[in-house]
Amino acid sequence: MSTAIFSNYSKTLITAAILLAALMFGYSDLLSTVYVGLEPVFMWSETTWFGYIGKNYGGIFAVIQAVHLLSMAVLGGAVIAGDGRVLGIVLRDVPVRTVVDRAHRIFVWALIVVVATGIFMACGVASKIYFLPVYWFKMLSLGAGTLFHFFIRRPLLRHDINQLNPIVVKMVAIASILVWFMVAATGRWIGFSG
Amino acid sequence: MINELLYNLAVMLDNTPWSTLLHESYYMYNWVESTHVLFLMVSLGTLFVIDFRMLGVAFADVPASRLAARLTWPMIIGFTVMFITGILLFYAVPVRSTQSVWFRIKMLLLVAAAINAWLFHKKMQESVDSWDRAIRVPDRIRLGALLSLVFWSIIVLCGRFIAYDWFDCDQNPGAFVSAIAGCVDGQTRF
Repeated sequence: MSTAIFSNYSKTLITAAILLAALMFGYSDLLSTVYVGLEPVFMWSETTWFGYIGKNYGGIFAVIQAVHLLSMAVLGGAVIAGDGRVLGIVLRDVPVRTVVDRAHRIFVWALIVVVATGIFMACGVASKIYFLPVYWFKMLSLGAGTLFHFFIRRPLLRHDINQLNPIVVKMVAIASILVWFMVAATGRWIGFSG
Repeated sequence: MINELLYNLAVMLDNTPWSTLLHESYYMYNWVESTHVLFLMVSLGTLFVIDFRMLGVAFADVPASRLAARLTWPMIIGFTVMFITGILLFYAVPVRSTQSVWFRIKMLLLVAAAINAWLFHKKMQESVDSWDRAIRVPDRIRLGALLSLVFWSIIVLCGRFIAYDWFDCDQNPGAFVSAIAGCVDGQTRF
């Protein structure tokens, strides 16, 4: 019985374990220890090539920002198409599996570009963002969104959607839209802070 | 002449109390700008999905016309909110925006993107029955999708560049840029 639960819901259980660990981490002294320990890493990242270019070449930094924004737009399009279909709002005459799978491919590529350009941008302003709570909220949203997408949403939607509880399916789609728009909103707010 | 006219119009907007309130309200201005960016994800995101389909790199097994038609509504809603918030952002900083070379390029490209979208839609409606399920769509449609991606990418880039003051009129950007930006002598008011 217990073995069956682990094999059928391994990704969900891993995600739940990670979330539990994150909560315990957040409410323990370990958080401040790790936060202090990360400061040298952030300061070092400003001395890397990425940091140097980001700090000294405003034009390149702005171009990377635009690429970051465009890849967020592509990610948003994939989320709207995929989750919109799951909610029955868009593409209702195309099978759910087709839309979700095709949107997932776009999503993965967009996420790779978002993360790559995000790392570059973070290096350029590392000493600023380290002290910004909104930056950590963005990282939390990004981590939660990525975990949610790959370990909950994706495995769930691999099943026949008609066999699943429609409320659960719709809640997953709404949560997915909210978390990715949260990532975008917190990301934009970094620019207003500090 | 036209630049002075635009400048005077911008100053008139700048002198209205709502413009000052919007510009000086930390939360209101930032929420408007955040909404602009969030709805960019909706409008450009869905537009790019359609463009990718036309270029054959995504949703290749979904009929092109169906994908375009079904994603049109979220795209229009996204563009509507983006334009409203865009107008508000301009209204909050009218003088600097009017004299920004990036803002002017952005506006020209918006017109170009709108014309391209109209032509794209027209060409698509004329011939879609013959290639609707094809992975590789006709070249003129692919060109339209590619132009759409290029125009909007540069529009977003110009949008980012507006935030920087490299070519602002009070930075003495040189005769060429001053002419494009429409810098009016002695009128470099923020």
